[in-house]
Amino acid sequence: MDPQLVEVTQIFARLKAALLRNDFGTCNNLLSQLKVLLTKYPSLPPTFQQTPTAVEELQIARDIYEHAVLLSVKTEDQDAFERDFFQLKPFYTDTCGLIPPSPQECPILGLNLLRLLVQNRIAEFHTELELLPPNALENPCIKHAVELEQSFMEGAYNRVLSARKTVPHDTYVHFMDLLAKTVRDEIAGCSEKAYDSLSVADAKKILMFSSDQELSTYIEEDHPEWEIKNGFVFFQKAKESQPCKEIPSLQLINQTLSYARELERIV
Amino acid sequence: MTQEVEMKEAQALSNTVSSASVPSTLQHLKEIASLIETGAYAKEVRRIVRAVRLTIMLRRKLKAATLSAFLNFALAPGSEAHSKLSSYLPKEDDRDMDVDTASSAAQGPKHSLPDIEIYCYLLVLIFLIDQKRYDEAKACSSASIARLKNINRRTVDILASRLYFYYSYSHELTNSLAEIRGNLLALHRMATLRHDELGQETLLNLLLRNYLHYNLYDQAEKLRSKAPRFEAHSNQQFCRYLFYLGKIRTIQLEYTDAKESLLQAARKAPVAARGFRIQCNKWAIIVRLLLGEIPERTVFMQKGMKKALTPYFELTNAVRIGDLELFRTVAEKFSSTFSSDRTNNLIVRLRHNVIRTGLRNISISYSRISLSDVAKKLRLDSDNPIADAESIVAKAIRDGAIDATIDHANGWMISKETGDIYSTNEPQIAFHSRIAFCLNMHNEAIKALRFPPNSHKEKESAEKRRERQQQEQELAKHIAEEEDDDDF
Repeated sequence: MDPQLVEVTQIFARLKAALLRNDFGTCNNLLSQLKVLLTKYPSLPPTFQQTPTAVEELQIARDIYEHAVLLSVKTEDQDAFERDFFQLKPFYTDTCGLIPPSPQECPILGLNLLRLLVQNRIAEFHTELELLPPNALENPCIKHAVELEQSFMEGAYNRVLSARKTVPHDTYVHFMDLLAKTVRDEIAGCSEKAYDSLSVADAKKILMFSSDQELSTYIEEDHPEWEIKNGFVFFQKAKESQPCKEIPSLQLINQTLSYARELERIV
Repeated sequence: MTQEVEMKEAQALSNTVSSASVPSTLQHLKEIASLIETGAYAKEVRRIVRAVRLTIMLRRKLKAATLSAFLNFALAPGSEAHSKLSSYLPKEDDRDMDVDTASSAAQGPKHSLPDIEIYCYLLVLIFLIDQKRYDEAKACSSASIARLKNINRRTVDILASRLYFYYSYSHELTNSLAEIRGNLLALHRMATLRHDELGQETLLNLLLRNYLHYNLYDQAEKLRSKAPRFEAHSNQQFCRYLFYLGKIRTIQLEYTDAKESLLQAARKAPVAARGFRIQCNKWAIIVRLLLGEIPERTVFMQKGMKKALTPYFELTNAVRIGDLELFRTVAEKFSSTFSSDRTNNLIVRLRHNVIRTGLRNISISYSRISLSDVAKKLRLDSDNPIADAESIVAKAIRDGAIDATIDHANGWMISKETGDIYSTNEPQIAFHSRIAFCLNMHNEAIKALRFPPNSHKEKESAEKRRERQQQEQELAKHIAEEEDDDDF
């Protein structure tokens, strides 16, 4: 075996051990060492050179990036997640014939879908979804994310929140917590339009706060235009389209002149 | 998907070819070759366009014997291109052919024009694809592309763009589109550097098709948004572009823009391209449903599309009624159709539109209704239907699907009176946008008018001009005399 590969394997073993101990500082150090080492292999994406040891190298590189993704979930670093995921993605899409598929593939793809959902990037969510083969949609990890998106779009937020109990993989819990925040903002936005006012107790329940204190700080920070009076929360409604009192004369003159000019051209 | 859709503009030209006393196909090919030749010498691209059209007309009549005879006529025997192309044709010991080759070899002029060589490649390639010999077609197309890279002539561009198309088509038929992506990108760059706009158009479409074949919407959109755009040269390519654009936008949830592109593609496509128009309509129907519109019945009754659009018709019906149960059965019943159309994921998205429509119907019929009744009517089956109904209604209100408020304490949904829209500026704005659309259409139509170059000058020879001037002078004299008479 190539000595460099041995070194990579050793560091990778230490990374795995550190990850189990939840020693994130060491993990990050080891990971950056590994990433530098990986750049030396021509068999990895994007070049995909057919070296004699290509299969082993591809496999270990994929393993490393998978761990990197999981590490970024644990350290709650969404930017790192995105970066690592994009480095991992070519392994899933372009190495089909070269190495056997990874057992981690579906959970990680599901995680990525969940991340897009949390960040409310629905267009990218659907773009990613189109890439998945039909049988992948049956996988519990991916199905979970797809169903969440559906409930989210429908507005059935209770279902989104109760899905936390049925997570298919323990790394999903972290994103579900973040999703709860996104859901709260959505609910707040909806309530604003749907209700004239709500009693503080109801508002607390709908927005999933445990104390009045949390509710009032949330309102102060995110929705200063709401008002709390006599135990009720009053929402300031956006002004609706009022009956037009004034004739927008300047605009009308401009439009009529442009019609005249165009007609002149035709006749 | 749309392989069958090779949009041919040929129809209009059918009478020009077949009117003569049916000369042999070979004769036709020779005429086309001379057309290309004059076109290439005079640098008149128009003639080459015509040549390509005429070729498509002959497509069904092409035979191995005729082709090899034509190759002998057009290319110097023993030249590299000749031997290469002949190797793709099956050897047939046909007496007819022998005669042809003998005569043409003796008298036929030997062309060395690259245009003719490329044209031969195109002919052989079309023939191979029609004979379903895809692997050979693939080899032939790759060879032609390699040859094309060394030719830099504006008159070849049109033939080249057809070759690009068949190059990609032959790879699609053999399911190896991914292999040529790099090549297509290189060709696109080359076309851009040479200011070959038709080539750029064609190649951009082929690349988009290539990406979309593998559902790589992200890459497709990135390429599309960065590729140079200019006024379309070919209606067919523009239609395709609009179709791909519509698909990309649908996936990325930009439904309003997607609808516009898809409908425009369906309308601009020639009548003969039935398969293409069916595809456009399928996507357009789904996009309109996703937008909350219900397509008219006439859309589904278009000539020749009724059968293909049936699944989508039933789907529309389910959405229109707002019945989740019916929607589910339809989606299951036609799931194989939807997955072969690759619209399955879009259908899944439709679910919440079904709920919306149901909700809208309820909101129109009732001025006040309890949330538990809403849940029952929408058939929401979950542990806590009332809370679900409440949040669904709340979201629908925020998205502007219904105009209502919720009374949380009593658990009611109260619909608001619809205001008088004519008291606002709304109608005036709508009226203005329609007028602007019509005026714009008129201007575009005028811009699209085409006249053959210099036709008004050619008509008038020197002699005629003299005649006309003389007549004018006489007329003027006449009028002057009459005026003189009047004075008295």
